[in-house]
Amino acid sequence: MTLFLLSAGLTIIFGLMKIVNLAHGSLYMIGAYIGLSIWTISTSFWLALILAPLFTALIGYLLYQVLFRHIQIADPMRQVLLTFGLIYIGLDSVRLFWGTMSHSISAPNILSNSIIVLGESYPSYRLFVIFIGILIAALLYIFLEKTKIGAKVRASVDDPEMAKLLRIDTDKILIYMFALGCGLAGLAGITVAPILGVEPGMDMEVLVLTLIVVVVGGPGSLKGALIGSLLIGFVDSYGKVYIPEIAQIIIYAVMAVTLLLKPNGLYGR
Amino acid sequence: MILELKKLSKSFGSIKVLKNINLKIDNNECVGIIGPNGAGKSTLFNVIAGHLKHDIGDVIYKNININNKSNEQRARFGIVQSFQKNSMFPEMTVLESIMLAISHRLNITFQLFTNLNSNIRILNEAFEIIKNIGLDKYSNSRSDALSYGLQRQLEIGIAIACSPTLLLLDEPTAGMSPLETKNIIRLIKNLSKNYTIVIVEHDMEVIYNLAHRIYVLDRGKIIFNGESEEIKNSKLVQDKYLGIENV
Amino acid sequence: MDYMEDKMKAVNYNPRLRLHLFIVLVVSALISIFFGGYFTRFFIAEIAILSIFAMSLDFLAARGGLVSLGHAMFLGIGAYSTTIFILNLGISPFIATILSLLIGCFIGLLISYFIVVLNGIFFIMVTLALGEMFHAWVFTSELLGGSDGISGIIRPDISFMGIDMNDPFIFAIYSLLWMSLIYFILSRITDSPLGRNLDALRQNHMRLSAIGGYAKVYKIIAFTISSGVASIAGSLYVQLNGFISPELTHWTVSGEGLIMIIVGGIGSISGAILGASVVYILQHELSNFISWWMLIVGLLFILVVLFMQDGLWGLIEKLRLRLLKGKNKI
Repeated sequence: MTLFLLSAGLTIIFGLMKIVNLAHGSLYMIGAYIGLSIWTISTSFWLALILAPLFTALIGYLLYQVLFRHIQIADPMRQVLLTFGLIYIGLDSVRLFWGTMSHSISAPNILSNSIIVLGESYPSYRLFVIFIGILIAALLYIFLEKTKIGAKVRASVDDPEMAKLLRIDTDKILIYMFALGCGLAGLAGITVAPILGVEPGMDMEVLVLTLIVVVVGGPGSLKGALIGSLLIGFVDSYGKVYIPEIAQIIIYAVMAVTLLLKPNGLYGR
Repeated sequence: MILELKKLSKSFGSIKVLKNINLKIDNNECVGIIGPNGAGKSTLFNVIAGHLKHDIGDVIYKNININNKSNEQRARFGIVQSFQKNSMFPEMTVLESIMLAISHRLNITFQLFTNLNSNIRILNEAFEIIKNIGLDKYSNSRSDALSYGLQRQLEIGIAIACSPTLLLLDEPTAGMSPLETKNIIRLIKNLSKNYTIVIVEHDMEVIYNLAHRIYVLDRGKIIFNGESEEIKNSKLVQDKYLGIENV
Repeated sequence: MDYMEDKMKAVNYNPRLRLHLFIVLVVSALISIFFGGYFTRFFIAEIAILSIFAMSLDFLAARGGLVSLGHAMFLGIGAYSTTIFILNLGISPFIATILSLLIGCFIGLLISYFIVVLNGIFFIMVTLALGEMFHAWVFTSELLGGSDGISGIIRPDISFMGIDMNDPFIFAIYSLLWMSLIYFILSRITDSPLGRNLDALRQNHMRLSAIGGYAKVYKIIAFTISSGVASIAGSLYVQLNGFISPELTHWTVSGEGLIMIIVGGIGSISGAILGASVVYILQHELSNFISWWMLIVGLLFILVVLFMQDGLWGLIEKLRLRLLKGKNKI
């Protein structure tokens, strides 16, 4: 489900700005680290869960104002390399601020036990993560499909020129949606922290997986991100259990097949 | 006869853009296609050039059915188009662009050990064409540095450098000043001595000036076909198209 | 139409300046080889090999209009096939390089057949994923040494000519020779009708097909050539180090390669060499002094991407124009 949070963020940014943000993984990592700091200071996981995404969104907002505003028209290669440079910066800033040690966050007490579902026992924190994923998916759906702002967002994606004519402030929408996308990455970072821990290099591990989900699901499509992350997550975890040697390759094979059959992804326009 | 469309239809989704088009173009003819916006002119054009694939009917070129030939293959048969929007090679000079087009006709694009501009034959031919299209002063300017009107001239130049048997011109005067339009009309008139030309145009003056025969397209159908004088006098066409234009 | 969207900005085409810059670079490399110590020679060899890689990316980006974030895969293909040829099959290293070139071209041909239909950002993402797929495979493959890599790769043995390849001096020269060879081949292709057509393809593929050029074929050609060149770089790289690690195939290597050509100036070929040298030297010098060098390098990358459209090549070109103008005034 974290995969969904990540790919939802990335796909929103891609759909809106046609930018592939390679630094998405870095934001995820930074989200986890900020969460770590908040958790260390306040000892409240819940506070970290709320504040970390907000801070990541703020970083996204600043990044947009400083950098992305200027490169919207530039060619894809420059966009990609710009975010590539951000990866370097992200990795080193994390090292500078938090050191190279790996840390762990413990889940709050309520969620540290296990729950039995359908005769099998699951750690309740994992169920909580799934719950957050579903919650966010639902909220995003309602936000984008049912509210007026959501309609404006969709309009700016489909036809920016027209949206401008209709006096929709596309710039503002871009900024906030970009920040939202980054915030989702941060949320993914902090929710996954109690399970996987926090360490430098966690950005690279998820980045490629996230990109694959977005490509498979169809860039810019939220539904695609959801289905894609379920599919890839499923293949990934079951592959690792049953056929560990080639689990990784199967994921890429899934992507290759999808692209050959549907070059724009499952739900691509 | 050089090109014949037989019972050609094309739809986008549920919208029928072209309905049962029959059209004949003879050698050394200059044929105009006119019609209001959305009549299907551009679609017809793209079907002939091979950018779009039609649904039903046949496209016959020099007695060969070319239904399944791609855009590139058609270009090699001699069906060459110019584009409505200026669409050149922005970073190349006029001379280079023309030589590039010639190189395709001569099938030397895969040679490695000569440069294009060391080939005297190509160079001479290119200069000839540049003179023809009236760009001799600009042969070493980059395409994107030319004015809009000159770019349109280059556009036609690239097309004729492929030595077409059928030249398709898509609104050659679109967005031009009256003076530029005059230039281009003179240019096309000169060309029509040597080439078979199909022009899609908005500007009636241009069409009257150039075309021997005119097809009028309305909502995907050919509603009229005849000499330009006939069209001027046709009540039907006046109502459908010219009437609207004059208001 | 959307052909403008995936168009590469600023491609530098100027054969004369290209040659001049190349000569300057090679001469300065030779000077450092002659007067430098062991490490300098090793560095020069490494830079030469990286330059080959950068040139392959440059060719692909400038001529085919295709940006690949998975090109490290071909580096890896060259490297691993050379390793296997030398260690498992006992083929001499020089022949192994040639063979790995062929393998690289073949795989490039195969892959490009499927992926050149994709545009702009999709192409980037797919190449990235393919590259990572290869990386994942190499990382887990027993045959290829997995995450540990393989060591013990030897260099060409030309002792019958009285030359010892294991001398860094000789190997640096050897790498420079390869680099020059590839420079001349790529320049030749770029200036030929084929190269001009590849250039035209990048500028406007719609128009190219309208004058009878098979855009897809050209893209495949560009990709194939480029992957072959990258394979050579990989092959030489393992011979230099005598060791291969799967890190070589990570996608960040491709990213750094792209940064190199942006720094040097896309499309100028010798600019790629310049870019590779500058980026390499910068990384090495910085990492010697500052522990957070990546931060600085990242910042520099961003600044270059934002403010240097034509890279260093653009600067040189402007400078030269100014000098020429100055001369004319007198």
